[in-house]
Amino acid sequence: MKKDDNKTPVVKIIKANKIYGSNYAIRDVDLDLYEGEIHALAGENGAGKSTLMKALSGAIGLTSGKILLNGIEQSFNTPHDALEAGISMVYQEPDLVNEMTVGQNIFLGNEKALMRLRGIFIGAQQILQSMKFGVDTAVKVERLGEAKKRMVEIARAILFNPKILIFDEPTSTMTPEEKMYLFSAIRSLVSRKISVLFISHALEESLELADRITVLRDGEHIITADAKTITRETLVHHMVGRAISKTHYVKGTKRQREVIRKKRKVLKVENVIKRPYVKNMSFTVYSGEITGIAGLVGAGRTEIAKIIYGAWKRNVIRGGMIYLDNKPIRYRVPAQAINDGIVYVTEDRKRNGFFETMTIHENVYLGWLATKLGRRFLISKKAREEIGNTWIERLKIRALDPKLKLIELSGGNQQKAVVAKSLVQKPKLVIFDEPTHGVDVGAIEEIHNFIRSLVKEDIGIVVISSYLPEVMSISDRILVAKDGRIVEEFKPQDATQEKIMYAAVH
Amino acid sequence: MVSKDQNSTTWSLDLFFKGGFKNITQEQIILLIAAVFFVFFAFAVKGFATFGNITIMMRNISVLGIFSIGMGTVVIAKGIDLSEVAVGAMSAAWVLQLATDGMNLGYAILLGVALALFLGGLNGYLIAFIEIPALFATLASGIYVFGFVRYFLLNNQENHFLPKADSAFLFVGQGKIIGIPTPIVIFAAVALLAHLFLRLTRHGRFFYAMGDNEDAARMTGISIRPMKIFQYSLCSLIGYLAALVMMGTTGSINVRIVSSTLIFDVVLVVVLGGISLIGGRGSVFSVIAGVLLVGIILNGMTLLHYTLPTQDLIKGIILLGAILLDTFLHPRDEETARQGDI
Repeated sequence: MKKDDNKTPVVKIIKANKIYGSNYAIRDVDLDLYEGEIHALAGENGAGKSTLMKALSGAIGLTSGKILLNGIEQSFNTPHDALEAGISMVYQEPDLVNEMTVGQNIFLGNEKALMRLRGIFIGAQQILQSMKFGVDTAVKVERLGEAKKRMVEIARAILFNPKILIFDEPTSTMTPEEKMYLFSAIRSLVSRKISVLFISHALEESLELADRITVLRDGEHIITADAKTITRETLVHHMVGRAISKTHYVKGTKRQREVIRKKRKVLKVENVIKRPYVKNMSFTVYSGEITGIAGLVGAGRTEIAKIIYGAWKRNVIRGGMIYLDNKPIRYRVPAQAINDGIVYVTEDRKRNGFFETMTIHENVYLGWLATKLGRRFLISKKAREEIGNTWIERLKIRALDPKLKLIELSGGNQQKAVVAKSLVQKPKLVIFDEPTHGVDVGAIEEIHNFIRSLVKEDIGIVVISSYLPEVMSISDRILVAKDGRIVEEFKPQDATQEKIMYAAVH
Repeated sequence: MVSKDQNSTTWSLDLFFKGGFKNITQEQIILLIAAVFFVFFAFAVKGFATFGNITIMMRNISVLGIFSIGMGTVVIAKGIDLSEVAVGAMSAAWVLQLATDGMNLGYAILLGVALALFLGGLNGYLIAFIEIPALFATLASGIYVFGFVRYFLLNNQENHFLPKADSAFLFVGQGKIIGIPTPIVIFAAVALLAHLFLRLTRHGRFFYAMGDNEDAARMTGISIRPMKIFQYSLCSLIGYLAALVMMGTTGSINVRIVSSTLIFDVVLVVVLGGISLIGGRGSVFSVIAGVLLVGIILNGMTLLHYTLPTQDLIKGIILLGAILLDTFLHPRDEETARQGDI
């Protein structure tokens, strides 16, 4: 793909700003996108990639700034406006109806009246063929792999004749083979003169796929460079180049351990089976250290945590034993686990993490009320204030007004409140599942520091995370899960991203 | 972040709530509307604003109010109990049957408590353990309770009367305590107790937690299933109390009340006052606000000799208005919507 500097870019974003409250989500960001170009956006969580893309696809409006399409200024109020203008978006999670066939999914919402199934299949086949996608149109979507699902989504987007396609982290749940497959599909779009914007926080992918890369950091535009001339190291430097990142990802061994105590076996999982999620999983958790569990989504990490915690509605396992302090345990409901001193910090706080109509104090106090210690008839407002304030201070929760309901706070503060609600229950074992998912950069560091500070207490700590730098920096021992088993164990000084990824995939 | 997005569609009504009345709650709006209606009827209808009429009005809404408090506690925990009237009224009818057959009224009332608790507990069991949605479980139990009690426990009459020997019981419905009619006193007492329970006790807070987010409540370690059995038993018990007051007012129970629209009036009152069906929102004040508005409107319309269809029409419009208001105050968009909303 050759880019001609005299040409007007298909998309030109000039000085885009988006302000939430008093914080800039993006600040004076410029971006050019030329015809037939694959342009990657790189940056850490919270760098503003998603905000920029949402603005471009019409999901949110900009506070200030211009979006030019082919040199003409546009303003989108709804995603539909953007679609009309030729901008389609493929979201992080496949947005398809599993029960329907590929053909029906491609035409969903665009069927003509009385359109026959045969017509749909032929139409879908034409679109798929034109891009050389090998997907059978008569197969139900639930039987497809991730890459093929993406292709169906691309085909559906193509139906609108888009000029620009935006991919938001399309590869986060894919195996390497599927990635290769998808990348060749994306490259074939270029021949149709479609421009592609590609968001990913895996740098290798961006370097491999893109023609140019733009790096955002803390909402600001750092650099736009040709993918062929920039190296991974410079890219990382641009992405994290700030004081915080120096201390942010330090390998576990280099950290100073203030207390070295004799390790005690807290939890032992032996050959636990719950098909199809968990197959013969075994591992041990010791007190006074952090056990990290890495792996792909669907490797059975969250599932084993839920088995231990009793969070499944039908918590039946087909074999194996779980020991807490050398006593066998098996819970039907989380209440029993909490009584015995196990807490689980959920990966999806919106779904089952916090009470949105209540304040931080009420949330934390409810956690305390649900324990043995909190078993009392009347509540105490004084205790609520005390407990709430203690934890607000310990976790550095910064709410403008403590009377605000939790739904009105930022993701970072919500996550901290969820952590506080669990930790107030005085656990012997705490399992953090994706503890920094959807949390801003500053809060990530504070949550990490807090988790590290727990090492001083005589409790077992498990951190489940799909984000490798997080697992590598926080853990004292790294376990890698794959297909419902723990397949590898690393010491942090031996672990590299490549080694962990290799173990998680092969 | 949802509502603060500057580009979200600002509608005039939205502006009105966000700008004009920044922190107004639904029950305050309903109280305001009730006051407007009160003033309107006071001028429009002769004899409306007299002490006598207001006492009658209050007495009439007491039964509805007690029923609504029972329903309110369940709706706060994101459930609904459509069998409340059936369980309450049929238990009360059984009490009258037992008394007519010669049993001491006191024992009969205790047996009625047991029946109401059993039926409420059964509701809770169906919802908590078998995991039937509350709407269907209680819709069905309202029907089978009616059939079961009528077939096995009552003789085949519709009207059951209080025996002459037990007419002292009429004090519950017709008497006065320091000049205030007893039903009002009972309503006030139930409201106060329910309020203290919901605000100040551990289990009351669990009601709100479960209504707010049941999954989160479970993960926090609240024992959801026993709590549900407790909720539906409590609701049935309060419903039974309401039916006893109703029995005290007329000295009889007509089992036809079960198939009347009373249960929908109860839901109307609860939702009107701001106990949202989303769960976790509202309080006993919401019930009081709702019951005042409904009471004032019903009484005023009766005095104006509106026909029943007209009254139903107006009630229906008010319910729709309340739900619209609920939607504006608690908008359901991507961020706030949850699966399983009724």
